[in-house]
Amino acid sequence: MNFNWSALKHAIVDGIRQLVSRPIYLITMVGVPLFCTFFFLDFMTEGLPLKTPAAVVDLDNTPVSRNVARNLGASELVDLQYRPTSYAEAMELLKSAKIFGFFMIPRDFQADAEAGRETAITYYCNMAYFIPGTLSFKSFKQTAVTTSGSIVMTTLVGAGLNEGLVGNLMQPVVTQEHTIGNPWLNYSIYLSNSFLPCLLQLIIFQVTAFSLLQEIKRGTSVQWIKDAGGSVTIACAGKLIPQFVIFSLTGLAMQAMMYGFWDFPLNGNLLNMIAAMLLMVAASQAFALLISCMIPNLRFALSILSLLGILSFSIGGFSFPVEDMYPAIGIFSYLIPARHYFLIYTNVALNGFEIYYCRWEYIVLILFLLAPMGMLWKLKRYSLNPVYIP
Amino acid sequence: MKKILDNIKIWWSTLFKVWIKEYRLVFSDLGVVLFFIGLPLAYPIVYTLIYNPEIVYDVPVAVVDNCRTADSRQFTRMIDASPYTEIAGYASDLEEAKTWMKERKVYGIMKIPADYSRKIGRNEQAVVPIYCDMSLLLRYKSILLSTTDVSLQLGSDIRTKKIDYSPAALLSTAVGETVDTESFFLGDVTQGFASFVMIGIVVLILQQSLILGVLMLGGGSSERRRKNRGIDPEEIPGPMSASLLGKSLCYLTIYAPLTIYILHYIPVMFSLPHIGNPLDYLAFILPMILAATFLGQMLRPFVVERESSFLVFVFTSLLFLFLSGLTWPRPAMSDGWFMLSSLVPATWGVEGFIGINSNGASLGLMSTPYLMLWALTIAYFFIAVIIEKWCHHRDLRHYNVPSVP
Repeated sequence: MNFNWSALKHAIVDGIRQLVSRPIYLITMVGVPLFCTFFFLDFMTEGLPLKTPAAVVDLDNTPVSRNVARNLGASELVDLQYRPTSYAEAMELLKSAKIFGFFMIPRDFQADAEAGRETAITYYCNMAYFIPGTLSFKSFKQTAVTTSGSIVMTTLVGAGLNEGLVGNLMQPVVTQEHTIGNPWLNYSIYLSNSFLPCLLQLIIFQVTAFSLLQEIKRGTSVQWIKDAGGSVTIACAGKLIPQFVIFSLTGLAMQAMMYGFWDFPLNGNLLNMIAAMLLMVAASQAFALLISCMIPNLRFALSILSLLGILSFSIGGFSFPVEDMYPAIGIFSYLIPARHYFLIYTNVALNGFEIYYCRWEYIVLILFLLAPMGMLWKLKRYSLNPVYIP
Repeated sequence: MKKILDNIKIWWSTLFKVWIKEYRLVFSDLGVVLFFIGLPLAYPIVYTLIYNPEIVYDVPVAVVDNCRTADSRQFTRMIDASPYTEIAGYASDLEEAKTWMKERKVYGIMKIPADYSRKIGRNEQAVVPIYCDMSLLLRYKSILLSTTDVSLQLGSDIRTKKIDYSPAALLSTAVGETVDTESFFLGDVTQGFASFVMIGIVVLILQQSLILGVLMLGGGSSERRRKNRGIDPEEIPGPMSASLLGKSLCYLTIYAPLTIYILHYIPVMFSLPHIGNPLDYLAFILPMILAATFLGQMLRPFVVERESSFLVFVFTSLLFLFLSGLTWPRPAMSDGWFMLSSLVPATWGVEGFIGINSNGASLGLMSTPYLMLWALTIAYFFIAVIIEKWCHHRDLRHYNVPSVP
């Protein structure tokens, strides 16, 4: 069997010519992913949104209550921007999202606490905004529990108990969380590592279908196949090989920004991450090629791939675990190349485990490459009889 | 005088002609119908189904119990009984537990030290280290919630028991309650994930599907101009402001029922937070839809082909989601991104809809985002008119000969 090398060479030259014929290709293949990478990394560069706007309502206004408010204000998580004088005023601020939580010290707090009468510290958090709500909750809870604890301690010591004993009894059992790989609880490290490759996948989906099916839309597909010596495989390869090179360079540049310039944890071997990126690019191209073969209509294929590409951010389980989704939905996560890349990332870069434990993810990404093989005949048939349905 | 009256008459007749004509253009285009109607109908359902389990329950945790006493087993049992975690098994040592973690059988390792029980007996503080996988913050949060709850509960049990044996026994009943602490949640009271994220996403779906559809119509118009020496045969001649407004009114009427479906029925169907006054949030969202229609028409010249609207616009959904402040609060953004986010209608839409729908705020409390939306509507309208006029001249010059992009 003689492989038609000159046809492949011609096809590749044509593929490159197509990519430089219009600015839209290079803008979406290089400009958009790199801009989005910069956006994500710069947007969340602080790691956690510190100094969440919050308020304290001090109805007591005594040395004890002022001390509590000062302790709260010293926390890096909240910024007490307002001092409302009533519950209603604070609630209005909270509902209008000017603050994300408020802390309330009741009337006669000091007097009641010292006399052993019941009194309560209350705090309100707006959980409709998850992160600032949770962060204000965390610092409110800490302040409330330590305040309550110190008052209980004073009472017990006053009743004649040994001070050291009381100290240990306040918290006889404590747990100590060790957050492996991300000890700063950096939100950007958690999110960028999955969302950015998934964004690249979305763009690969779109550009692959756009460049292939453009030929059918314009009616140039007959010539396209003919130039490739009548082989649809060579015709597709001519377009996809140059794109693979550009997308791979973009993907590696994204990794360089994350692990190089922004110093994200990379506890495993860099080569394994590079291999994962190259495989993800190729697997995404293969996936898009498969859809383009199954639906050889530019607009329908692009619509489907755009919808799938956007849904991948959710179904990929980058924020909500796949094992907690409904099984009938979670099962689709296996069809997403970026999901497999993400699993490799958690094992290799975040946790620094041996790649033996993510061997299946590599294998699945390789298997993706075989997926379109069985469907190329359909693309060929439609290419030889191009019909554009607007 | 007559001239002025004539101009007014022409303006209104253009508005209505364009408005009616636009329905025909929309509904004769399957692609646009898909994005104007199919997407807003199906997407919120698919999305909510993905996140509908809301809370991450029973995260598997391994135990390395070096203490092996009744106390340590009680701690383990309580972790297992917590809704957020389950004990996947006893590992003989840390290495075995680590292997389980590598195989993704567990996402946390709890190591009970050998002197755990002894320390409790001696009234010393016992420390239990817990190692958490950080690939997903929701799993970490579940582990954190469960271990904090258990250590606080165990602590208070132990304390009560100890004080019962001491001379201060009489105090023990009072001690637990002198200063109570109570927390109250607004908006997402169950802290479910769908209840948090979907409220913002539905607003974003409204804006993005609308703009995508408008861009696709615009791309079709660009293609027709290219083939017809810069003139779109489907276009009705007349004042530009009237024809832009006519198109917007057409999109607005198509989106009215969809808006009610997305903002009212989706939260009801999936029992997401939904305590707002319908009149408030519908009145609120009106300028967002209008601003989105003008923003779409403003961006039209960047789309020279129907299909390229996907390439230039779909990825912005991700950026707009983060710019909206749903996850990363707007006060924490840097100045540049904060200003950029202020230019996106959905940013204000998300803020206002969360306020009214999840927190039960009135329209009056949401006056800042509401006024900002009207300001954007007016600004985008005028910018769209200017850009459209300029493009009209450019197209006439540019497309002297029919061409492809």
